[in-house]
Amino acid sequence: MHWSDVVVESLREHEVWHATYVPDAINWQVLSKLEADSAFTVIPASREEEAVGIAAGIYAAGGRAAMFMQSSGFGNTINALAQLLTGYRIPVPLFIGMRGGLSEFNEVQVPSARPIPAILDTLHIQHYAPEREDEVQKYVDGAIELAYASRMPVAILWYAQLVGAKRATS
Amino acid sequence: MLRREGIAALVRRVDNEPIIANLGPATFDLYASGDRDANLYTWGAMGLVSSIALGVAMAAPDRKVFVMDGDGSLLMNLGSLATIARQAPPNLVHIVWDNQMWYETGGQPTHTSTGTDLGGVALASGIRNVARASTVEAFEEALDQAIREPGPWFIHVDIEETGEPRQRPKVVVEENLVKFRRTFTG
Repeated sequence: MHWSDVVVESLREHEVWHATYVPDAINWQVLSKLEADSAFTVIPASREEEAVGIAAGIYAAGGRAAMFMQSSGFGNTINALAQLLTGYRIPVPLFIGMRGGLSEFNEVQVPSARPIPAILDTLHIQHYAPEREDEVQKYVDGAIELAYASRMPVAILWYAQLVGAKRATS
Repeated sequence: MLRREGIAALVRRVDNEPIIANLGPATFDLYASGDRDANLYTWGAMGLVSSIALGVAMAAPDRKVFVMDGDGSLLMNLGSLATIARQAPPNLVHIVWDNQMWYETGGQPTHTSTGTDLGGVALASGIRNVARASTVEAFEEALDQAIREPGPWFIHVDIEETGEPRQRPKVVVEENLVKFRRTFTG
């Protein structure tokens, strides 16, 4: 099974019926499948912190939502991760498409992506990065279960080792 | 009119419907009107209260959902109006208490004091049901219409500050969230 199908099935299995996002090419492989599946409600936001806020509201009303973003937008979420998700103990699985690693062509993607694991550590948000397709299910199931058991956000980071690198188009 | 007069009018009209309050005076005044499990008070993540309410409205489509925003906060997250317009939850009522200032930080004038019209921004973002009120009577009329008719609604309310001292609510945020969530899950 493709890694993106594993994510879709894990969300279904754990009844995470809502997804909020600011798009990126990596996560779009998951989101496009969620959009095509009537069981899921997929909500695009104008900015990453807004997507965190919407996901928090869905949980507050008894639902479950995952949030998807690119590493370049992670910085926009920090206040919401701290004051909303951590402050209120709101579990949201976070899926972050990591730029700035192997074969990156855009140099400004590097400094925004590289500190993300350290920032998550500082915020006490656990994070995992599956590197092989055969370990995606273990990580994604485990991260979702950990999020709801601990009532904290948990992040899954998609690096080029698993999902491939974006190529410059011009 | 005063924020607390508007809150009193809203609270008289709700049963188990959620009210989500912006940080600062909206949270303080909502708590002072009488605590209830269906109140969600916010203390940070400034700007996101309408985003939180959008999530609540989408997860609980069978309840009217009221959110009380502020002008300084909404100015931080104007994109939320476009996102609300795109999702168009008919059960969402977005109230903005506009005092034209960042009250909690010393009353510095916000951009609404120099002519930015938040109702106009909402309308241009695609929210069709926009009302404006400067008196309690006008606010109650707009609120009754928003309760009766499908939204999303945006009610822009001009308010005055009296500077009266406020009691800090005795709320533990985690506990507030758990109680609020239980009003949906039983």
